[in-house]
Amino acid sequence: MSENIVILMISVSTFLGAIGLIALLWAVRTGQFDDESKFIDATRFDNEEDLRDAAMMEEKKKARKRKKEKEYRPAD
Amino acid sequence: MSQIACTHCNLTFPEDVMIAEQHNDKSLFFCCKGCQGVYHLLNSEGLDTFYDKLGDTKLQPAIQNNEDLEKFDLEGFKNKYIHTHADGLCEVNLIIEGIHCSACVWLNEKVLHKTEGVIETSINYTNNKAKIIWDPEIIKLSKIIETIRSIGYNAYPYDPKLQEERAIRTRKTYYSRILVAVFGSMNIMWLAVAHYAGYFGGIQQSFKDILNVAEFILATPVLFYSGWIFFRGAYYGYKNNIVNMDTLVASGALSAYIYSIYAMITQRGEVYFDSVVMIITFVLVGKYLEVLSKKHAVDTLDGLMGSTPTEVTTLKDGIKSLVSIENIVVGDIIELKPGEKVVIDGEITWGEGSFDESSLTGENEPVYKKSHDTILSGSLCLDSVLHYSATKDASNSMLTSIVNLLEESITKKPRIEQLANSISGYFSTIILLIALLTFTGWYFWSESFEQALIVGISVIVIACPCALGLATPMATLVGISVAAKRGILFKEASFLETMAKSDILALDKTGTITEGKPSVVKAEYLQNFDPALLYALVNTSNHPISKGIKAYLESRHDTLEMLTLEEITSIEAKGVKATYHGKKLLGGNDALMEFYALKVDANSENALFFFAINDLLVARFELTDTIRKGAAKAIQSIQELGVKVVMLTGDHEQSAQKVAAQVGIDEVYAKLLPGDKSAMIDTFHQEGHVVVMVGDGINDAIALASSDISIAMGNGADVAISVSDIVLLDEKPESIYESYKLSRRTFSAVKENLGFSLLYNVIAVPLAMMGFVNPLVAALSMSLSSLVVVGNSLRIKRLKFKSKE
Repeated sequence: MSENIVILMISVSTFLGAIGLIALLWAVRTGQFDDESKFIDATRFDNEEDLRDAAMMEEKKKARKRKKEKEYRPAD
Repeated sequence: MSQIACTHCNLTFPEDVMIAEQHNDKSLFFCCKGCQGVYHLLNSEGLDTFYDKLGDTKLQPAIQNNEDLEKFDLEGFKNKYIHTHADGLCEVNLIIEGIHCSACVWLNEKVLHKTEGVIETSINYTNNKAKIIWDPEIIKLSKIIETIRSIGYNAYPYDPKLQEERAIRTRKTYYSRILVAVFGSMNIMWLAVAHYAGYFGGIQQSFKDILNVAEFILATPVLFYSGWIFFRGAYYGYKNNIVNMDTLVASGALSAYIYSIYAMITQRGEVYFDSVVMIITFVLVGKYLEVLSKKHAVDTLDGLMGSTPTEVTTLKDGIKSLVSIENIVVGDIIELKPGEKVVIDGEITWGEGSFDESSLTGENEPVYKKSHDTILSGSLCLDSVLHYSATKDASNSMLTSIVNLLEESITKKPRIEQLANSISGYFSTIILLIALLTFTGWYFWSESFEQALIVGISVIVIACPCALGLATPMATLVGISVAAKRGILFKEASFLETMAKSDILALDKTGTITEGKPSVVKAEYLQNFDPALLYALVNTSNHPISKGIKAYLESRHDTLEMLTLEEITSIEAKGVKATYHGKKLLGGNDALMEFYALKVDANSENALFFFAINDLLVARFELTDTIRKGAAKAIQSIQELGVKVVMLTGDHEQSAQKVAAQVGIDEVYAKLLPGDKSAMIDTFHQEGHVVVMVGDGINDAIALASSDISIAMGNGADVAISVSDIVLLDEKPESIYESYKLSRRTFSAVKENLGFSLLYNVIAVPLAMMGFVNPLVAALSMSLSSLVVVGNSLRIKRLKFKSKE
C-alpha cells in the first residue's frame, strides 16, 4: 500500500464529513434548530398543505412589494 | 353518572352538564359555549384536521374574553413592544398562552397565515413564543390578537430585547462550537486507532507522518474555534488573578498541542492531538448544559413582565382617560377594576376591596383593604372598583424593582462559580508550578532547552486529562442521578459541591414548611343538610378557604351532585350568598354571619367558615394552613448536621412564631417584602456564611436568586423554579435533608477522587519529571486511574438516607 492511497482515503473521507459539518453549521446559523420540539414534529406533520401555506405567505410578501412599488411610481 | 369528554378540549364532565348537539350525523358534546364556538369556527374554515393531530391531549376550555383588546392599539403599547421595519411593516413578539402540543402550534400558525395582512408568523413550541410581522395598513394588532383568542388561546406581548436575543445568540455559538468539536474528535479517534496499532505493532515513519498531519489539521479548528471559550476564560481569570478550570484546560490543551506539533516536525516521540480534542469536547459539552438552564430562566421572566398592563385609567376632574404608566406622576388618581393587576404603588382614596398579594408575601389568603391603606404593585385587585392616588412613579414601584432585581441576579451569579472552582483552582496552580519547576530544573541540569521543554510539557499532559477530567464530574454525575431518583433535581453538577459547604438554611414559611393552602382541621355539622348544597356554593368562589372546604367535602363524600345555583353574589372579604330552589344559602366568615344577625362561635385562632341555610346555621369549619408532614423531623436532622436553620417569611410575626415553634426553628424574620428577604441573604453572606434558601413563590424569587444555592418546591411559581438550582419534585421537607446528606457524601467522594488523582500524580508526575514517560506508561496509567475514580464514584449509590430507623 502506498502513501498516496492513504492520503487519498483520509482526505476524501474527511472532506465528505466536512460537507456534512458545514451543512449543520449553516442550519444552526439560519435558526433551524431554535425550536427542538417543532423540529422533531416537523417530520410528523410535513405535507403538501404546509408547502402550499409557505408558498401563499411568499405570495403575500410579493404582492405587498408590488403594491408599494406601484404607489411610489408617481413620485418619480 | 357517565363522564364524557368535550369534543374540543377533551376535558371530561358529567353528561348532563354538557351542551349536546347533532352535527353531520355525529353527536357532539361541549363543556361550554366557548369550546362549541371554536369547534364550529374550525369546521367552517376547513381546519378540523386539528382534532386528528390533537389526539388525546387535553386543552384549556376556550373562554372568550375580548375586554381589553383596545389596549393593543394604544400608543404606549406600541412604543414598548412593537418594532416598525423600514418598509412600514410591524413586528411584535408574543407569548401564546394555552399551547399544549404541536397541534396547537399548527392551528395557530395556520389561522394566522390565513389572516389578511399577516406577512410572517413563526411560533416556537418549546417556549410558546411567537414572532408576527404584519402590514399595519391592512390589519390592526388588536384584530390579530382577537383572531388568536377566537380559537381559544390568548396572547400577550414581551420585549425580546430584555435578554432573549442575547441568550439565543450564546446558544447558537455553543451549538456551532460543539459541532466542530465533535466532528474533530470523532475523526481523530479513528486515526488514533491506526496510530496506537502502529505504536504496538510497528509502523513506517512515512505513514506515521501522514496520520500526524491529518490529526494536526483536524485538531487545529477544534482547539482554536471550539476551545476559544477556555482561552477567553483563562484570560479573564488571569486578569482577575484567579487560576480556574479554564486555565488548566487551556494551558493543558495548548501545551499538548504545541508539544505534538514539535513531535510531528522533528519526527521524534508521539503526538497527543487526540487528548487535545477530547479535553476540549468533554468540558465544552458540560459548559453548554449551564447555558441551557439560563435560557429557560429568561423565558419565564418574560412571562412575568408581559402580563402587566402598559396603561392605567386615571381620573382628572371627573374625566377618565387612559394614560401609559410611564407618564403617571405622584399624586395622580388611578381607577382599579376587578381582576386588574396593580402596576403603581399608591394609597386608596375611595372604595374598598380584597387584594391578592401572593406575589409579594407568599400568602394565598386575600387581604382586605379600605380607604387610606397602601397598595403595592404586583398585587391583584380581586372583587371591586376603587380609586387610589399614586405615591410612586412606575420605575420606582415594587413590581418594576422586583423584575429588575431578578434580571440582574439571573445574569450574574459569581459566588457559585468561584466556590465550585476553588478545588480545581489549587490543583491547577500546583500542576502548573511543578511543570515550570521541571522545565527550569532540566534546563539547568541538561543545559538543553529542547529537552527541558518536552519534559515540562509531558508533566502537564500526564496530569491534566485524567486527574481533573474525571475526578469531579464522575462523582457529581452519580450524585445527581441518585438525587433525581429521589425526586431532587440538581440543575448543575457544581451545585452539589456548593451545597455541601453550606452552613445556613433559610426557609420560607407558606408553601415550604406549610402546605400553603388552608385545610379543614375541625368540622362540626350542627344540623342535617345535603352536602351537595355546600359543595355547589364553595365551587362558585376561588377563595383559598372555599377551596379548602371543597377539598374536604370531596374527600368525605364519594358522589357530589353538581347543582346549579341562582343569584350568586360574593360579598367582599366575607363570603358568598346564593339561592337554590327557594332555599337561601349563606357561606362565609363570622363577619358575614353577624351581618345577617346569626349568632356564631367565633372563638378560635384558626380561620373560620360557617354555612347557613334559610338563616339557620348548619355547619362550622375551622381551617388552618397545616405544616407539611415530617417538617419538624427533617429540620431537626438538618440541625444535627451542624447547619443553622432560619425562617424568612412575608407573614406577620405571630403566625410565623407559631409555625417556627412547632418545627423547632429559633431564628425567625417576619414581615419581609421580597427585597428584604434578599437583603437578609446578603447579610448572611457578609458574615461569611454559605446560604441555602428554600422557597416557592414569586416573592421568594429574588432571595432565591441571590443565595448560593436555591431550592424550589415542585409546584411553586414558574419564576421561583427557574431561578433556583435545585427543584424538589415531591415537596417533602425530608428531601431538603436528603439533598444535604447526598451533597456532603458526593463532596467527600470528590475529595477522595482528587486525593487519589493527587496520589497518582505524585507517582506519575515525578516519573514525567525524570523524563521516563513514554506513551505506553501514559496509556496504562491513565486508564487505570480512570477506573479507580469511576469505581469510587459509584460507591455514592450505596448511601443510606434513613440510617437510624
